[in-house]
Amino acid sequence: MSFIGNFFAGVDVGSLASKSVILKDGDIFATGLLKSGVNSVESGLSALNLALDAAGLKKEDLTYIVGTGYGRVSAPYANKAVTEITCHAKGANYLHPTVRTIIDMGGQDCKAIRIDEDGAVVDFAMNDKCAAGTGRFLEVMAEVFKVKLEDLGDIALSATDTVPMSSTCTVFAESETISLVARGEKPENILNGIHHSIANRIAGLFSRVGIASDVFFSGGVAKNTGMKSAIEQALKVTIVRPEIDPQLVGALGAAVIARSFAKKEGLWA
Amino acid sequence: MGLKTLDKITAALRSRPLELEQLRKEGKKVVGWLAYNIPEEIIYALGLIPIRVGQGGDGRLVEVGARHISTKNCVFVRQALGQFAEKTDPYIQQLDLVAIDATCIQLYRLEELINFYFEYKTVVLGVPRNFASKEGHEYFRKEVEFFTTKLEEFAGVTLEQSKLEKAISLYDGIREAIKSLYHYQSLDNAPLSWRDVSSVISAGYNLDRQNYLELLQELIAEVEENLTESPAGKEIEARIFLSGSLIPPGDTKLVDIIEQLGGRIVGDDLWSGLNFFLNLEIKESTPFGIADAYLDRVPHGSLPYLDLKSDGRLANLKHHLHEFGADGIIYHTLRYCDAFTFKAGETKDVLGKLPFLEIHTEYSGSDFEAIRTRVEAFIEMIKSKKEIAELV
Ligand code: SF4
Repeated sequence: MSFIGNFFAGVDVGSLASKSVILKDGDIFATGLLKSGVNSVESGLSALNLALDAAGLKKEDLTYIVGTGYGRVSAPYANKAVTEITCHAKGANYLHPTVRTIIDMGGQDCKAIRIDEDGAVVDFAMNDKCAAGTGRFLEVMAEVFKVKLEDLGDIALSATDTVPMSSTCTVFAESETISLVARGEKPENILNGIHHSIANRIAGLFSRVGIASDVFFSGGVAKNTGMKSAIEQALKVTIVRPEIDPQLVGALGAAVIARSFAKKEGLWA
Repeated sequence: MGLKTLDKITAALRSRPLELEQLRKEGKKVVGWLAYNIPEEIIYALGLIPIRVGQGGDGRLVEVGARHISTKNCVFVRQALGQFAEKTDPYIQQLDLVAIDATCIQLYRLEELINFYFEYKTVVLGVPRNFASKEGHEYFRKEVEFFTTKLEEFAGVTLEQSKLEKAISLYDGIREAIKSLYHYQSLDNAPLSWRDVSSVISAGYNLDRQNYLELLQELIAEVEENLTESPAGKEIEARIFLSGSLIPPGDTKLVDIIEQLGGRIVGDDLWSGLNFFLNLEIKESTPFGIADAYLDRVPHGSLPYLDLKSDGRLANLKHHLHEFGADGIIYHTLRYCDAFTFKAGETKDVLGKLPFLEIHTEYSGSDFEAIRTRVEAFIEMIKSKKEIAELV
C-alpha cells in the first residue's frame, strides 16, 4: 500500500503535553498525546510516533510536517515552525468555520485570539507572565485538595456558594486556599471561587481584542467543565467546545497548515 | 550594507571621547542632556558642546540605578541613573553640566537624584502639561529664558543673535537630513535599513554637530547614488512600524527579534527616533521663538492626549504609517512607563483595523521567548493576511 503524497502532520510541543495530529488529505486520520519531557525534541518525536503508529505509517509517508508550541524552535523533524497562535486559529476554523474568537488555555499560558472566516488571526492577546489561568495553576490546586485534575471542574460545579479568591498567583493562591480550608469553607465552594477568579482574569485579556461569536475553547484546560461554565458567565457568551480532545487543536491547526504549505510548495496538488 | 559613510561615522565615534577630552583641556565645556525638549540650539550657540545622554538594554546598569531609585521607575531612567552613578561611560565622564527637561516626571526625578547623590551640576527645564494653551506657551517661554540665563552663567558668555541663527540653521539641516534618511530606508531599493538610520541617530548623540551634518549629507548622497532598481516580484514582507516608549541606543532586544523573524522595520514615531526631528519650525531666532517651536512640534507621549480627533501625535502616527507603507504596528511599552502604557488602548482604538501588537517589556532577557512568540505570530498574521488568497 502506498501512502505517498496524502499525509500531513502537525506536532505541538507544549510545556505540559506534546500532541500530534495526522491528516489524510483533509480528514483527521490519527492523533498522539503524551506528557512533555524535559527534552522537547524527544517529546515532539514521541508524540509524532504515537500518531504514526496509530495510523500504521512511517515518518517518510508524511508529505509535510509543521511544528508548533514552545518546542517549535527545536523541532528538526518538522519542515516548518509556526506559532501556536496561528495554529489554534486554523485548528478551530477547521472544526468550526463559524468560530471568530478562541480562548486557549494551555499548560503555561492563556491566549485570546480573534480570527476571520478563513481562520486567519486578526488580533490576539496572551498572558504568559504568571501561571494564573493555566493548566499548571489548576494542577497545583488539584494537589492542594488531593483530587484528580480532571475532576476539578465537576467539583466546582457542585458548589452551593462561591468563596471569593483574591489571589491568582499560584504561590499566594495555594496559601490562601489552605487558610480558607482552615476557616471551614467547603472545598467545592473554594474551587468554585478559584474558577471564577481565573475566568475574570481571562475576561481581562479580551478587553483589548474584543469578542465575537462563535467562541471556541481549546487547550488542556478546556476539558474542565467548571472553567467552561465560569468563563461563559464572565464573558456572557456560550462556548463551543471541539468534538476532538481540545488539547489537540494546536496540532490539528499545524497539520492543516502543513497541508497548505505542501500545496504551495507543489508537493501536493 | 557596506556604505562607506556609515564606516566613517563609526570611525568618527571611535575617536570622539579622546577628542572631547582634548577640547575640555582647551577650556571647552560639555553639557550632557536628556530627553526631548532641551533646545540644543541654545547650548551650541553658547559655544558649549552638547552630548545627548540616555541608553538602554543593560540590565546590570538598571540594577546599579535601582540602588538609588524605586524599582517602580522605568528601566530607562534606572539605567541612566546607573550610568551616572558608575561614571565609566566615556561620555558621562566628560560632562560638566547635565540638562534635563521635565517632560516626564521620572526624568525630573532623575535630575534630583544625580544632583543629590552624585553631585552633578544640573539644570532643569520645566515643561507644561497644558502644552497647547496660551498659558502653557507663556510658561515654557519663561522656562527657556531661565534655562538660557543659567547656561549663559555657566558658559560665561551671553547668547549672540548671529550665533543662535547659525545654530538654528545647523540643526534645521540635521533634522532635514534625518527625515530624508527615513524616507530612503522605507523604500524597496534603498541600500540602508531602519536599523542603520537608528544607529546614525545614536551617533548624533555624541558627534560634533557640524561634522555630523556633513556626514549626514555625505551619507544621503551615497544612498542616492546607490539606489538600485526596484526589485520585481519581491517576497511578501511584514512591514513593521514601531511606536510607544523610546528604544534608545543599546536597546536592541525587540529590534533583533523582529529582524530575526523576518520582519522589516520601516518607520517609527518614537521620541528616540523620528519624532524628535519633526515639525520643529523656529519662526523667530530667539529663546522665545525656540520655546514656541519646541512646544508646537509633535508632543511627547508623557503629555496627555488632549483630544483623540485632533491630537498631533495620532495625526503624525497615521501620516507616517501611510507614508512608510506599514502593515502593522508594534507598540512597545517599558514597564512603569505609564506615559505610553496607558495610551496603548486608545492608540489601538484610534487606528482601527491596522494590525497592532503591544509588547510590554524591560531590559532583562527573561521575556525573550515570550516576546518572540508574540512577534512571530504577529508577523505570521500580517503575512498570511497578504497571502491569504494562496494559503488554505
Ligand atoms: S516617558 Fe516612559 S520611558 Fe521615558 S522617561 Fe518617562 S517613564 Fe521613562
